[in-house]
Amino acid sequence: MLSEENLPENIEENSSNFKDIFRELHSDKEFNHLYNEALEKRAPLDKNFSRRKFLALLGISAAFAATGCSNYRDKGNIVPYNKKPSEITIGNPVFYASTCNVCSNSCGILIKTREGRPIKIDGNPDHPINSGKICTTGQLSILSLYNPQRIKEPIFNNTQISWQEADKNIIQTLIKTTENGKEIALITNGITSPTYKKLIEGFIKTFPYTKIYSYEITGYTNKINAFKKTYGRESLPSEDFENAKIIVSFECDFLNNYPNKLSVLNKFSKNREIIEKENFNRTYCFESTPTVTGINSDYRIVLRSDILEEFICCLINEFHTVKKLSEYAKNISVINLFSKYILSDFILKNNLSKNVIDNLINDLSNNTGKSLILGGIQLSESTQILIFFLNKILENDKLYSKDKEIKCQYPLIKKADFNNLVEKINNDKIGVLTHIDTNPVYHFNGIFDYIKAIEKVPLVITLTEFESETSAQSHYTLPINNYLESWGDYNYVTGIYSLQQPVISPIYNTRQKEEILLTWIEGTHQNNSYLRYLKNNWEKNLLPAFGFPFDFKSFWINSLNAGVVKTNEKINFTGEFKIEPSELSNKPTSVTTNDYVLIIKENPFLLDGKYANNGWLQEIPHPISKIVWDNYATISPSAAKNLSLNTGDIIEIKKSGKSIKIPVLIQPGNADKVISVELGYGRTKAGIIGSFIGTNPICLLNADKDDLIIKDIEIVKTGNTYELVSTQEHYSLEKYKDIPIKRNIIYEFELDEYRKNHDLINSKEVEGINLKTFPSVNQPHKYDELKWGMAIDLNKCIGCGACAAACNIENNIPMVGKEQVKLNREMMWIRIDRYYTGDINNPSISLQPVLCQHCDLAPCENVCPVAATTHSTEGINGMAYNRCVGTRYCSNNCPYKVRRFNFFDFRDNFKEGFLYSEPLKQLSNPEVTVRSRGVMEKCTFCLQRIMNARDNAVKENRKIEGTDVVTACQEACPTNAIIFGNINDTNSDLNKYRNHKLGYTLLEEIKVKPNITYIAKLRNNH
Amino acid sequence: MKKFLLDYNLKVRLPVIIFVIATVFVITYYISYAERNSIGYAPSQPINYSHKLHAGSVQIDCKYCHTGVNFSRTANVPSVDVCMNCHSISRKDKPEIQKLTNYFENNTPLHWKRVHKLPDFAYFSHSLHVNKGIDCLNCHGDLKLMEVVTQVNSFTMGACLDCHRNPQNKIIDYHKLTNIKKGPEHCSACHR
Repeated sequence: MLSEENLPENIEENSSNFKDIFRELHSDKEFNHLYNEALEKRAPLDKNFSRRKFLALLGISAAFAATGCSNYRDKGNIVPYNKKPSEITIGNPVFYASTCNVCSNSCGILIKTREGRPIKIDGNPDHPINSGKICTTGQLSILSLYNPQRIKEPIFNNTQISWQEADKNIIQTLIKTTENGKEIALITNGITSPTYKKLIEGFIKTFPYTKIYSYEITGYTNKINAFKKTYGRESLPSEDFENAKIIVSFECDFLNNYPNKLSVLNKFSKNREIIEKENFNRTYCFESTPTVTGINSDYRIVLRSDILEEFICCLINEFHTVKKLSEYAKNISVINLFSKYILSDFILKNNLSKNVIDNLINDLSNNTGKSLILGGIQLSESTQILIFFLNKILENDKLYSKDKEIKCQYPLIKKADFNNLVEKINNDKIGVLTHIDTNPVYHFNGIFDYIKAIEKVPLVITLTEFESETSAQSHYTLPINNYLESWGDYNYVTGIYSLQQPVISPIYNTRQKEEILLTWIEGTHQNNSYLRYLKNNWEKNLLPAFGFPFDFKSFWINSLNAGVVKTNEKINFTGEFKIEPSELSNKPTSVTTNDYVLIIKENPFLLDGKYANNGWLQEIPHPISKIVWDNYATISPSAAKNLSLNTGDIIEIKKSGKSIKIPVLIQPGNADKVISVELGYGRTKAGIIGSFIGTNPICLLNADKDDLIIKDIEIVKTGNTYELVSTQEHYSLEKYKDIPIKRNIIYEFELDEYRKNHDLINSKEVEGINLKTFPSVNQPHKYDELKWGMAIDLNKCIGCGACAAACNIENNIPMVGKEQVKLNREMMWIRIDRYYTGDINNPSISLQPVLCQHCDLAPCENVCPVAATTHSTEGINGMAYNRCVGTRYCSNNCPYKVRRFNFFDFRDNFKEGFLYSEPLKQLSNPEVTVRSRGVMEKCTFCLQRIMNARDNAVKENRKIEGTDVVTACQEACPTNAIIFGNINDTNSDLNKYRNHKLGYTLLEEIKVKPNITYIAKLRNNH
Repeated sequence: MKKFLLDYNLKVRLPVIIFVIATVFVITYYISYAERNSIGYAPSQPINYSHKLHAGSVQIDCKYCHTGVNFSRTANVPSVDVCMNCHSISRKDKPEIQKLTNYFENNTPLHWKRVHKLPDFAYFSHSLHVNKGIDCLNCHGDLKLMEVVTQVNSFTMGACLDCHRNPQNKIIDYHKLTNIKKGPEHCSACHR
């Protein structure tokens, strides 16, 4: 062949062009000879074996090698435990009782774990406060445990350090600060743990210049202070909602944010009974923006927030001065203070319905001692004092528990105290600033110059699970355990102690916050030191104090198992009411109603913004507006018209030099000239999910005022727009007015109307046809043994979203993010529809949870080309995911639009849906298939729970019964509005609902025979 | 000539090709049936455990080791400490037992090769079947005779449905079982 030696030597010099070289070579006879010789000598294979063939052969042999060498029959490994913990049976869940730490309510929870991984949080049925229920945030907080964005190691000025180093440096500084006589400030949220309190007392003993700043931004601080000034107790009264015949709420969203909310919900729902007995209380709600409480009230009266105080004064005047209702009112004389507030004038001036107010006055006068008047967190301390005064006049303090109160272990501070702290920092009096799981930089952003101030502090420490605005400003960021990895005890209500135990060992290199403080006190770190401290405190202090005669070890094991300790502790609430007349003076004379007012509301799910980083919580639609992933400023339709605003227009809200920009939402039922904005949004450092979502309105607040109502704001239209995404379209209200009522999707009646005529629904005819008796052309299926069905009592449903949350976790439903919700691709299997009916300025707002109706003659089944959705012999409309090819015919043919399609693999496709990342995928429920892209899915009636119940029935050698199965939504529903069971069992609870006169199914006229019965809502109006 | 060629192609060549392909396909399908369903799959395990010895000669009950079989969906491959119940004393001199002891003492995970497997989207419950009285050998074969665990039955949906439809033909000692009628046939019985 051609080799270097054969090349002409002068190739470089001769050639200006390579073509010439080869031409020369070919004309060279010697070269041609050598070349031909080489061709002849070449291996014969070369002649036929082209490069292409070679590559083909290479490919095929590689493929053969790959198939041959890989063991295609290999099915992986089974790796059993080396030493199996005795309580675990693989495949069966283990439940642990613990305490939720999401808010200060400290509800008892039952954590479902599978092979050591917590996968679901439910309420502890043995807990006297929340009796087996848990709120939406509590349920979804489990995501935070596995959140890949948790801080994994201690951080000092953005560099990772070891715990030993951090401990050493911090302890040195603490000692030095104490020697210099400077203050160590501990900023915490409300403390409800007695042992934690003792620990902090120990901390103060070791470092005497320590001060505690305990605050709750969405807490009832004003009410506590008002209760202290009137009844002399620094706590909240434990109110008896069950026996309250009349409940009047002034901006108080007690169904959403209230101390012991779940107990309130449970008792409230007992007064909405329709099945066994007709037991109804009557609720009046005075509010500016629709809340969960308002829309479930019998009377919702739209009232500007800034004239509430005047209205309460009018009521006091009416009951105290004019009617002299109670003994108390007869004896105490503050007449001249209130005589100028004339109720009839107020009604006239503010265009209130005289009928409704008269009814309110009558109801309250006829039910003295049996009604409750409540004020929300937005109201100032002086308004709360007036409300206590009004309750006292009506003798409603009889409903305050005599031996129980609701109390934080440390008094909560006011804004003024926080202002003092900032001043102290500015005067260089603070040596160490420790934020214990709080985020004051975000919470007081714009109110105090906190960010600037803390730069002056020599040492700022933040103990936190997640990156936050505060941790970004700190020297040390110490990662703490999630509450599912922690020990603790909680006492929020007198006599009820909840215990907290870890259900998983810390996933990252984190420590419990109490353990960190204990390390600083003791000077060295020991593993499980807080557990020893906790047990010691219970053995030495608490147990003897309760007078329990038990041996500590058995007491401890049993209490941990139960999750709750009930003691005989009692307070002595005498009901002795004292009030300084000075507190009652300085009341508003009259309010100019021309200025805009801003009211800051609490978000039902994100609370104070701590859980902004939780995608599931961001994606649960807001109960009223159905908007996801955003907050907004609500505005009434008429005000929007005046300002020529549309939903999505960005406005600037200005108040004394400060301003925020926020999109508006036209909210039917909003008070005119009132803007409301929710808290919890506008985080700037909350990980990839929570950052830069919505706007934080808190900067508009004044530093010295303690209410959340801001008067005299200025609104400017910016001209920019922003897209708000909601799961329910905002159709033109005029065009589609009252459609849901006309189409018989929702029924709403008055209680009296129903009492007169029980056949309200059965007698209803549409165009001369009675829907219930209208015959079907289809032959019904036969269900011999079991047939599953559900009933939803709309009298009890408050639309809180707990069912959707439970469903999300139980059924591995991914979050999809705002962009996808905009395209109607949300994945939640339960949606709660909200309908406005009636006058647009004060509409009646109805809610209706809609899930797969499991129709007997399901239209989706007929159209599936691959028979992926089929009917079971027990009436369940099932989905075989592995069979689904994603034609979406079923979804098109579903009259209820409850089917959800996986347009993507939502688990890792988007930054919001990072459910596949470690360790988040461990959250999945192993009993339910994880669906992939291109598959249709929908409610299965918790098939896994039905099968589990069947397993258990077979184990016990009996037949499965309807009551054996509790679906996830039913288990979570805090008002027990959802009932599930066997339709063929004629004695079942379910059949009482199904056969009830108020029971109806959706779109009855299409005769698909849904198995979900709705009970029509009754309002207890006059 | 053209016409002739087309005729030849259509009448002879094409049918022959189709016939050959179809035959090859059908034959491969049937020959590979067992192979595809993993029948006869008997991987070698990290420890040469013999069911024939333990379940057959020594007559240890299945449930002694597979503790989950009537409590849980999964039967449970026994954890190492279950083996050590006996082998902390018995046969300590045997090399396989020493291997086992090593696993136990060093707390190393023991990776058994999986023999029987259903796809992830099929939810089979051991406890439901076993508590109804269906013997292990209906699906797993007679393990008392197996030195190395081998898959004897196919674990396909067809195999499940065969038994659910005609249990009388499939289940050994069917007449002795009192509370069995038929298995469910709807999709949601296994797929959720």
